[in-house]
Amino acid sequence: MERTRAEVDATLQTAKLDAAELLPAAHCLRFGPAAAGDVCLLELEPALCGRLQAGHSLVIRGDKDEQAVLCSEDKTYDLKVADTSNMLLFIPGCKIPEQLKMEETHSNIIHTEYTTGDLLDQIQASEEEIMTQLQVLNACEIGGYWRILEFDYEMKLLNHITQLVDSESWSFSKVPLNTCLQELGPLEPEEMIEHCLRCYGKKYTEEGEVYFELSADKICRATAQMLLQNAVKFNLAEFQEVWQQSVPEGMTTRLDQLQGLALVDRQSRPEIIFLLKVEDLPEGDQERFSSLFSLREKWTEEDIAPYIQDLCGEKQTVGALLTKYARSSMRNGVKVYNSRRPIS
Amino acid sequence: MVQIVISSAGAGGLAEWVLMELQGEIEARHSTGLAGNLLGDLHYTTEGIPVLIVGHHILYGKIIHLEKPFAVLVKYTPGEQDCDELGCESSTRYLVTALIKNKILFKTRPKPIITNVPKKV
Repeated sequence: MERTRAEVDATLQTAKLDAAELLPAAHCLRFGPAAAGDVCLLELEPALCGRLQAGHSLVIRGDKDEQAVLCSEDKTYDLKVADTSNMLLFIPGCKIPEQLKMEETHSNIIHTEYTTGDLLDQIQASEEEIMTQLQVLNACEIGGYWRILEFDYEMKLLNHITQLVDSESWSFSKVPLNTCLQELGPLEPEEMIEHCLRCYGKKYTEEGEVYFELSADKICRATAQMLLQNAVKFNLAEFQEVWQQSVPEGMTTRLDQLQGLALVDRQSRPEIIFLLKVEDLPEGDQERFSSLFSLREKWTEEDIAPYIQDLCGEKQTVGALLTKYARSSMRNGVKVYNSRRPIS
Repeated sequence: MVQIVISSAGAGGLAEWVLMELQGEIEARHSTGLAGNLLGDLHYTTEGIPVLIVGHHILYGKIIHLEKPFAVLVKYTPGEQDCDELGCESSTRYLVTALIKNKILFKTRPKPIITNVPKKV
């Protein structure tokens, strides 16, 4: 059974800790299942870590009577052992405060997943001295994962990327991953940068290098969301102007990029646009229609379709849903739909 | 000559884990052992100090950024299924599963939590 946020808060209260003095994200730690293998920790210079991250291997060599050494492609290191009487626990996916503050996770509770672990050997490699001996320490592994990034943070990442594209004069269809990580790495965690590129683009490889083809539609849509979420409604003409100026140069904004995200009211004077996200609407068919009709009395099929599309399945098309839950009439020569039942 | 290869998961990048170091030992409350059980809640103060609530204890610690990161190695000893007609590869390998660049160290004495009335959630 997973702990709920309420249970975490209750524990905080019992412990007499003031939630106001804590960061909002809490990690609920859980032991993984029993041992799945021997685990070691190897302490390395940053350069050696870099080699491992790049996919290279290292080799431990030695005759039975000799001291063991660690070899990379071009260097040899002495192996040294360290031990501790302390208990060491691994927490995959755990975030440190620096990362939490930058990420602002959507949820304020981070649950753990099961991973494995049992014995822990610790080996230390350094360029310094000698001595080898293996020692065993007790350890248990704990799992963790993190949730969807908050939208504002995603926009911040996206802005870094589009500004870099602009300053480097790259094409949006050929954004090099490595240069992005190099230039933006000092500002944001690399995994976040890559995550953002994956969300807003398509990955491909050319001549051994990884590139991303960024989607103008997705970027324009996200920019619109950022603008719209700060106001109840916008003058349509003004919004369209600001929106076009806010997207990266070379991208063209179109209202059809906002399906299921925003709604235009062409009956009002002046015409307005406001944020309406399909994810925020009720999931049940009848409730969805009730909520849409209480927002607006009469809908054209073109306007309502993006907001009922997700309800369609094998057996239900948009047309079938409209027949079931709505009544049609004509307004100024255009077919419109309203509720079958009176809306309270 | 003994050779043990330490290979990396690949250029796709390695996961980053955090190491938590505690003095003493954690014992299971029941004889069924630790596996699958909750350990506790880990919080951070707005100043970045880690706070761990384990059972009836609170521990305050500190985040240490490791100048020399750790690689987490999982030992892999090939079994019967890895044998082919030329024989078995008997060498042991280590696979790098993750990197650890930060550790949370708890070395102060745990403070007991004194409760009067348990809160019903």
